[in-house]
Amino acid sequence: MRRTVYSVKFLGKWFFILPAIIFFIGMVVFPMIWSLSLSFYNWKAATGGAKVFIGLKNFYTILAKDVRFWGDLRFTLFYVGMTVLIELLLGLGLASLLNKKIPFRNFFRVIYLLPMTAPPIAVAFLWRMFLQPDVGIINQLLHKISLPAIKWTTDVSVAPWALVIVDIWEWTPFMFLGLLAALQSLPQEIYDAAAVDGASPLQAFVYVTIPMIMPIIVTLVLLRAIDAFKLFELVFGITGGGPGGSTESLSYYIYTSGLSYFDIGYSCALSWVFLIIVLFIAIFVLRLLRKEV
Amino acid sequence: MIQVSIRNIGKKLLIWIVLIIFAIWTVFPLIWAVATSFKTMTESYTLSIIPYLQFKPSWYAWNEIWGRMFGRVSKSLINSIVVAGLSSLFVLALGCLAGYALSRFVFEKWKNKDIATWILSLRMFPPVVVLIPIFLMMRTLYLLDTWRAIILVHMLYNLPLAVWLMMDFFNEIPEDIEESALIDGCSRFGAFVRISIPLSSSGLVAVYILSFIFSWSEFLFAVSLSYNKAITFPAMIAGALSVKGLDFARVSALTLLAITPPMILAVLMSKYLIRGLTFGAVKG
Repeated sequence: MRRTVYSVKFLGKWFFILPAIIFFIGMVVFPMIWSLSLSFYNWKAATGGAKVFIGLKNFYTILAKDVRFWGDLRFTLFYVGMTVLIELLLGLGLASLLNKKIPFRNFFRVIYLLPMTAPPIAVAFLWRMFLQPDVGIINQLLHKISLPAIKWTTDVSVAPWALVIVDIWEWTPFMFLGLLAALQSLPQEIYDAAAVDGASPLQAFVYVTIPMIMPIIVTLVLLRAIDAFKLFELVFGITGGGPGGSTESLSYYIYTSGLSYFDIGYSCALSWVFLIIVLFIAIFVLRLLRKEV
Repeated sequence: MIQVSIRNIGKKLLIWIVLIIFAIWTVFPLIWAVATSFKTMTESYTLSIIPYLQFKPSWYAWNEIWGRMFGRVSKSLINSIVVAGLSSLFVLALGCLAGYALSRFVFEKWKNKDIATWILSLRMFPPVVVLIPIFLMMRTLYLLDTWRAIILVHMLYNLPLAVWLMMDFFNEIPEDIEESALIDGCSRFGAFVRISIPLSSSGLVAVYILSFIFSWSEFLFAVSLSYNKAITFPAMIAGALSVKGLDFARVSALTLLAITPPMILAVLMSKYLIRGLTFGAVKG
């Protein structure tokens, strides 16, 4: 594939790649090994307690006894599933509807790009003002059209949805623009061919369009899912994990147990459990993107 | 014929309606925040967005920021600019070298694909996984609450993407040009500096701006590793606003200050944003 000019024997190539690799070893590989070794200890740094080796007990506690962990995992999975599904459906609907010559294309593209360029913590505070139960803007809007107010951030069954809505606001344009780019890269001929063969527009969409953009759909969905798993800022800024822990994400749990309670050993163990869960999803993404190298 | 043209008009109208509804849903919160940042505290809890007609504009929130909060705001803004500017510069240097290596050279033992996949996987995993050990590391090195700590962490955050994108950009440059330079007696490093880098300059700018945006917006590490001297703007507003009883005017003004710089940069390079966010998988 590569030409002989870039020969294997050229030792200077290490000068190009090693700085990055050494950096990653120092900033990722080493910290992760350290974190793994700490996860076998009971080390509550807040109380000045000593490090005590307890083997796999932290992992046992997490998997067998930690109700908070399972609740957070359930919420995180709910959040990832709901946001990705709804964003995909909305994005696909909008993209196929607008797969024409769009007037003022660049203008609208810039508009739709705005939410995803904002820092997530700023998005969180912006939406906190909208979702605030007493004086929040959404409840004022609801009041105007004489609908009852919704306890966005104080009702256990509503708060998870509040965060989902914010994520949808922020990331639907990403799905939409990605899918639109995929649709517009398809040649017109395939639709002509489908029409000649007597396919209705709906059939053409289901049997021609969807299979052809499937690789992009899978890529976008997995990228979004991996990103949604990292949910932290919205929880930090909007609900603080409440009410009753119903909107606490795994990232937020690890952050608080490590840096608020300084339960170092336990939060390192939590990190590793979280990592393994995400790894299963990441493997799919990598398999997919690898083909493009 | 008439039927067809009516259907066409209907379709065009539908497209316009969908475009506009989607645009309003997207920008309404931002427009409301702009309006609210020019309200007084008591008026800030209202829906109104049209100045003079619906509310009387006031400099209350901006005076507050430029007055009572000026010390904290200016310090954290400078920190954010320095951290994002420097970390993106280092990311660009390392990412450019590694991306070029993966695009042009053959790594027999490790396989280029495996190195690239490994680097990409570093972007995929949740950063919170290394939060605790990195916090301990920075504490041991006495780097807590310094620019250096946050710059290092933001490099970790952005380097995988930079390597991946630079590899993508270098792959698009035909190898023949460098090849003829080599035949003319140019060294390999010379070919890299004099030919590949200038040819991929738009890619370099895109990678720099993307990592600037991500560094500016990064919150988890910023809030964990800095608390006073080196606090970045997002971490500062989180600290300033997480008190009970939100003052909507002040929140809006601070939020807008955080949103505006990355937004301007993103608009300038909107062409590359989707490509960057999808690791080059979608070239929209």
